[in-house]
Amino acid sequence: MIDPDVELVRSAGAGDQRAAEALVRRHLPRMVGVARRMLNDSVEAEDVAQEVFLRVWREAPRWKPGQAKFETWMHRVALNLCYDRLRRRREKTDPDAGLAVADSRPLASEEWLARQRAAKVHAALAQLPERQRAAIGLVHFDEMSNIAAAEILEISVEALESLLSRGRRALKAALADVAQDLLGGAEGAS
Amino acid sequence: MTEKEEIMDRERFVELLDAFGADFRRWPAETRAPAAAYVAANGEAATLIADARQLDLVLDTARVGAEPSPALATRILAQAPRSNRPAFDRRAVLALAACAVLGVVLGYGGGLLAPMPAEDDAYFATAFEAPFTFEDEG
Repeated sequence: MIDPDVELVRSAGAGDQRAAEALVRRHLPRMVGVARRMLNDSVEAEDVAQEVFLRVWREAPRWKPGQAKFETWMHRVALNLCYDRLRRRREKTDPDAGLAVADSRPLASEEWLARQRAAKVHAALAQLPERQRAAIGLVHFDEMSNIAAAEILEISVEALESLLSRGRRALKAALADVAQDLLGGAEGAS
Repeated sequence: MTEKEEIMDRERFVELLDAFGADFRRWPAETRAPAAAYVAANGEAATLIADARQLDLVLDTARVGAEPSPALATRILAQAPRSNRPAFDRRAVLALAACAVLGVVLGYGGGLLAPMPAEDDAYFATAFEAPFTFEDEG
């Protein structure tokens, strides 16, 4: 198993700022994405990403390539931090969070519509059980292989496939109106 | 790495579409070739793929505005480990600063010690003899 991060982690751990920058450039967007999909909250997602990197900096000086790739370890840390936060929230998440876009806006710009749709998808993702949400995030959004995603979630590839199927089925039902709006938009507009 | 290829029938094809969506790049490596063969041999496959692609496209809309803020990267980098060589670097900076100060002092002091040439006296004397005034014009 070749881990493309090993040298960067070693250098960053020794205080090499360029290596630290390269790690941030390579992994920060993904860590924010993972946390945002899990928490449906951009501010909390940035907090989680920062916490992940705090742990990276702490571990980097003594990181030894082992069974898991560094990226896999980072994803596990990010997901565990998200699970902790979700546990603390105690189901207080407002499913419509992020959807309260001002209706008073006279004309819906393309950007506004795109953000509205994104918010609906995030809200639907937030309604999924955590493991299904994490599986869909890793495979669909982070485009990880089934083997890598299963490794991060510490499950078999068969179990991953099952999580994905159930998650996608639920999303298809929850997002039927977005699909109609997005794909049937041309008919509706005329 | 070679992986065992799957036998692909309609049931398995639909299962994989349900789990991984319409883009075969997300499918398990060992299923891609049999899936492509199944698509080539079955006209209905294109309809099944188109159906699964709808959800893929809807999910892709969630990528909007997902970029981390530049301030976050700055905060994170500020916490990164620092090299153990700052003491050396500080000494180097101090030495450079000392050289610069010494250079200025020597340059200024040397200038004070050097006698001004006699012609300069004459130049200043003539320069201030007849001051320029607007009234003299016209």
